[in-house]
Amino acid sequence: MSITNSQEDILIVDNIHTYIGQFHILEGVSVRVPKGSITVLLGRNGAGKTTTLKSILGLTPPQDGKVIFDGMEIQGKRAFNVANLGIGYVPEHRAIFRALSVMENLKIAERKKGDFDRSADFIFDLFPDLKRLYKLPGNHLSGGQQQMLAVARALVPDNKLLLIDEPSEGLAPILIQQMMEAIRTLSEKTTILLVEQNFIMASQLAQRFTIIDDGQSVHNGMMADLVNDTDLIHQYLGASIKTRKELEMEHEAQA
Amino acid sequence: MKPKHKKITTILLVGAVVFAVIVGLYLYAGKESFIRTTLSGLTLGSLFFMVAAGLSLIFGLMDVLNFAHGAMFMLGAYMGWQLYTNPTFIFGMLPAIIAFTCGVMMASVIKPFLIRWEISEKWQKALPKIAYVLALVVLVLAFLNFNIMELASTAMVAATTTTAGNPLAEISPQEPLSQFWFRPVLLILSGLLVAFASAKPGVKSEFAPKEDLLKKAIAPIILLVLTVVATLIRESAPIAILLMNGNWRFIIAIVVAVIFGLMFGAVVEITLIRPLYVRPFFIVLMTLGLSFVIRELVQLLWDPLAYQMVRPPLFAQSGRAANLLQWLQNGNATIDISGVTFPTYRLFVIFLGILMFAIVTIIMTKSRLGMIIRAGVQDPQMVEALGINVRRVFTFVFAFGIAMAALGGIGAGPFLPIQPLMGDQFQMLGFITVVIGGMGSYVGAFIGAIILGMGRAFGDYFALKLSLSPAIAEASTVIIMVIVLLIKPQGLFGKKE
Repeated sequence: MSITNSQEDILIVDNIHTYIGQFHILEGVSVRVPKGSITVLLGRNGAGKTTTLKSILGLTPPQDGKVIFDGMEIQGKRAFNVANLGIGYVPEHRAIFRALSVMENLKIAERKKGDFDRSADFIFDLFPDLKRLYKLPGNHLSGGQQQMLAVARALVPDNKLLLIDEPSEGLAPILIQQMMEAIRTLSEKTTILLVEQNFIMASQLAQRFTIIDDGQSVHNGMMADLVNDTDLIHQYLGASIKTRKELEMEHEAQA
Repeated sequence: MKPKHKKITTILLVGAVVFAVIVGLYLYAGKESFIRTTLSGLTLGSLFFMVAAGLSLIFGLMDVLNFAHGAMFMLGAYMGWQLYTNPTFIFGMLPAIIAFTCGVMMASVIKPFLIRWEISEKWQKALPKIAYVLALVVLVLAFLNFNIMELASTAMVAATTTTAGNPLAEISPQEPLSQFWFRPVLLILSGLLVAFASAKPGVKSEFAPKEDLLKKAIAPIILLVLTVVATLIRESAPIAILLMNGNWRFIIAIVVAVIFGLMFGAVVEITLIRPLYVRPFFIVLMTLGLSFVIRELVQLLWDPLAYQMVRPPLFAQSGRAANLLQWLQNGNATIDISGVTFPTYRLFVIFLGILMFAIVTIIMTKSRLGMIIRAGVQDPQMVEALGINVRRVFTFVFAFGIAMAALGGIGAGPFLPIQPLMGDQFQMLGFITVVIGGMGSYVGAFIGAIILGMGRAFGDYFALKLSLSPAIAEASTVIIMVIVLLIKPQGLFGKKE
């Protein structure tokens, strides 16, 4: 798989290798994220999707390979420097600050004074619930509310790229729908790199995909092609995931 | 609603128990003894708080158990005492310290150029090492024939020979400027070499934009000016300070101890603790070792003696003041509080403790920094991912914690003997306070400190009254800790893991 530097890619991850302790977690991951798109990282549990996001951000710096954001090499830079270039991070398990109120959780994400005031309307349009919960401490929120807050926190400063890790994890179906809508709205404003286990959600949102298996990126392409490629899905994403075709067939059978 | 009910019941229950204990003690001891013992307890509690607050914040945020906290408390007392009795030593060392810092601070200015320097990997590794060795050589050269011991002894002499009438008697002449000037120059050079080494010349992966160079140059330039000023006022400043009113001198002593604590804390965090965050156990050993080094250095400079700091005039006049106003007018040593004669200086210590609690509370709840600290206690990685330089926050919290300990040290100066081991007991009690109050909670540290202080004071009272062993006061600490840990293993205000 060759990666060429194109003007339109806001993020290029080129063959990165990451170790955590002595464990070689990423053994050559390459991802391209075109500007203005939603790209999804797919793969089994423990394949290295979360580590890929953390390596981009510099939380687990890659030992080898390149990460190019907006035309600038960022591998080896400290996470706060990378984030300040314009990358927002919504981690797995939300990582809401429990000791801070909802308001403080948003305010802490300010990079310049007044960031929050500028983006408040947009955030509360997207997640009207948060306005009501404004003064509550972070530990009083439900799982879904925490997830909304985690996404909202990444929207406070103007980010050119959002890294969103498993936004649907542990959410009720109705909340998953809401979250999907929100992410779709966001993609009109910014570029998104998504990690998502829920294949239905991923396939409906993303335009592009990269499959990571055992710490290596093994396949990438357009989502539209993947949804019909039953073999590829079964090979790398496990038999539990059903393609749209299969779901439709089941649906018809039930009917 | 259920958890809320439970919370209210707990608060009522605890309130009832506390109230019962207070009333019981009041009835048993009688009004006078009760007030006197309570005030003594609060005095001790204030000091415990100033040690424990730093320990607790430092542990909560960065998981560092600082075993050098007591030594830093002691250093604060020594620095304050030095300035108060005879600041010759402090002002003699000042140009050297500022000059060296000035050189080191140049790193941020030269780094953007150095990392863009095209040199081979071999030189990238070798150059910093060579620079560090050279820096050490220049450092030694700068202090050649510089008689530190003589400088240090001035305050010692001033403290042991009572020259209360004439504080200027012990001012000794220093090296003339014509001989001294090359020392700060060499120290700036030495600092520059350290800056050169720490900037990692040629290492491309380092991040240092060339923007805002002028802004980055402000700090070193200010320090350069300060170096010149400090060099010129070496001899005159101590005289000027000794001519001041004792109260002002005491205030300056407090400020000096706090600034010293901030600087020392920052230096220790950046140079010694930062490389060890990945090995937490090593940090414990390192801080323990550091405490021995500090103690030995202090003994070397000022002998293993105990010094008594003269109380500032505001707390020194004999006689008892009837009320606060009269005390502030006359500067009495004791004051009448509802019929109890109580030393005014101890009242001041209580005030200092409450003031520090208020300051910490305001920082933690109202400022952005406090917000970042509260968030960082839970998840420093996520804070960093938001674009916040967490390392800098770590440095600040460590420096702030040490400054509080140093403030506690100078606060204790006028009523405890100043000696190299004075901090050890406070460190021990500080740790117990943190355990009782809950790791990482400054409110817990405050409540824990008051409980321990009260335990001490009433332990002493009962030992005296019932002719028990005086060890009961010390045992009370451990008994309180055991009771609290049995009921709430995570401490009073600790979060469940």
